[in-house]
Amino acid sequence: MSPANSKKWLLLVLLPLGFAGVWELQQRIDIQRRAFEQERDELVLRSGKLVRAMSLEYAPLMADIYWTRAVQYYGDKHARHDPNFELLWPLLDLTTTLDPNLLVAYRFGSTFLSEPSPRGAGHPELGIALLMRGMQANPDYWRFYEDLGFIYYFELKDYQKASAAFAEGSKHPDSQIWMKIMAAKIAAEGESLSTSVFLWNEVYQTTKDPQVKDNAMSHLHLLRVEQDCQQLDALADEFQKRTGRRPARVGELVQAKLLPRLPVDPMGFPYVFGPDGKAVLNIDSPLLEQQLLQQNSK
Amino acid sequence: MRRAGAVALNTFREAVRDRVLYNLVFFALLMMLAAILVGGISIGIEDLVIKSLGLSAISVIGLLIAVFIGVGLVYKEMDKRTLYALLAKPVRRWEFLLGKFGGLVLTLAVNTMAMAAGLFAALLYVKHHLERTDAVLLIAIYFILLKLTLVVALALLFSCYSTPLLAILYTSALYIAGLFVEEMRTFHSTAANPLLEALLRGLSYLLPNFENFNVMAAAAHGREIPGALVLQNTVYAALYSVIVLLVAAAVFSRRNLK
Repeated sequence: MSPANSKKWLLLVLLPLGFAGVWELQQRIDIQRRAFEQERDELVLRSGKLVRAMSLEYAPLMADIYWTRAVQYYGDKHARHDPNFELLWPLLDLTTTLDPNLLVAYRFGSTFLSEPSPRGAGHPELGIALLMRGMQANPDYWRFYEDLGFIYYFELKDYQKASAAFAEGSKHPDSQIWMKIMAAKIAAEGESLSTSVFLWNEVYQTTKDPQVKDNAMSHLHLLRVEQDCQQLDALADEFQKRTGRRPARVGELVQAKLLPRLPVDPMGFPYVFGPDGKAVLNIDSPLLEQQLLQQNSK
Repeated sequence: MRRAGAVALNTFREAVRDRVLYNLVFFALLMMLAAILVGGISIGIEDLVIKSLGLSAISVIGLLIAVFIGVGLVYKEMDKRTLYALLAKPVRRWEFLLGKFGGLVLTLAVNTMAMAAGLFAALLYVKHHLERTDAVLLIAIYFILLKLTLVVALALLFSCYSTPLLAILYTSALYIAGLFVEEMRTFHSTAANPLLEALLRGLSYLLPNFENFNVMAAAAHGREIPGALVLQNTVYAALYSVIVLLVAAAVFSRRNLK
């Protein structure tokens, strides 16, 4: 082998080895930095007006960058189940100050802020403040009222204000007819399963974001579970009236011809009766974890 | 190695002759101005501003020197035809490259040390005394020097096969990309494409991670930096620089200088 060739081969061996070393070292540095930094969240400039002035004519571009950072921040915290969303509001504040017409920042941002911990920051009041700011800057956009009604309905359980938000939004010429129906229905019934299903279904149908779609679908699944369990409990009551005892298994309802077949949850797992005789999710169902998470966050 | 050392020493002398170290005057003025002004425009964060501004200035000035001088190291010698005279002597091409690299790193080290002295002087002026926690600044400055070493290696690599303008573009682009590797790794929070996610994750480990050397915030707040990180960052910068210099030497040895 000529010296030139041997050098080439040596390089071909050394380079992958070197990069393998870099890879390994980087993993160690990551561990070290995580331990030493603990919380990497830092936002040096918190004044939207100052950042806007410093952005010169590039404020909309800066807003896009800050919005991306807000999404990454929320996504990263969400993925790590970290309930500390301290910087979410400052990031959204900066984003919407830099570009007051960035509708997506108000809509998703208010959801991120309002959802209870650990799914969100658990600050519905900040979500409302963000939406109010969005309404002021974009008075023609009726969807903010839908989001506002959503926060009042689901997070704050303030049905009067939720109804008022839907009613206010329904006055917009572009708004959809169901806004008026929701306003009346919530005013009359407060929280109801059918209203909740409708609202989450609306989110599911209208969003293009896969994560929001998944979240809406998960809520819809849990609402269906709630509906199913209510129906199964009613059938168990009927069974008790006939036989004088609570059914121990759901199968007994089928045997008593109260059900045509074994009912299953949206993931295909059959329901069971709990120790208190009430219908519950199967322990193997993946929905059980989501249900517990939702119950804990309430 | 002695030959590479001679090239390095001459590269340092050339940088001094080219008035590269004049930037120290600018740094000194900046520090003096900041030290005088900061008390009047801020409350409670005077020393923090001096530390942050000082470290940032050391980093930016160092980067400008590393990139702009680094990309011309080989090109200038070829353009002036001094390289031919040099390579006619018993100096191997890789020794020439290593010497050029060492010379610029030496220039940067002297420059950084002088700026560090200026930073501590400004800090002393503002606080009237130095604390033990201020010593963390030295680690941050050392990390900046490690970062600059890596940038010089990259600039040298690109200067071996392209024009200075393109080399500046490549080096700057790689430096900026190297600052965002953390974001590449946390891309999972928004990406729906697992292939893209895996690709970005892999790339994030192969690109030079300049964020490794960023401890400015911790140093400004006087937070302790673990010794293991100092060691790991030193090995990282050394290993990555060796890889880049190996590639640079391979490219330069095949280059037709006729």
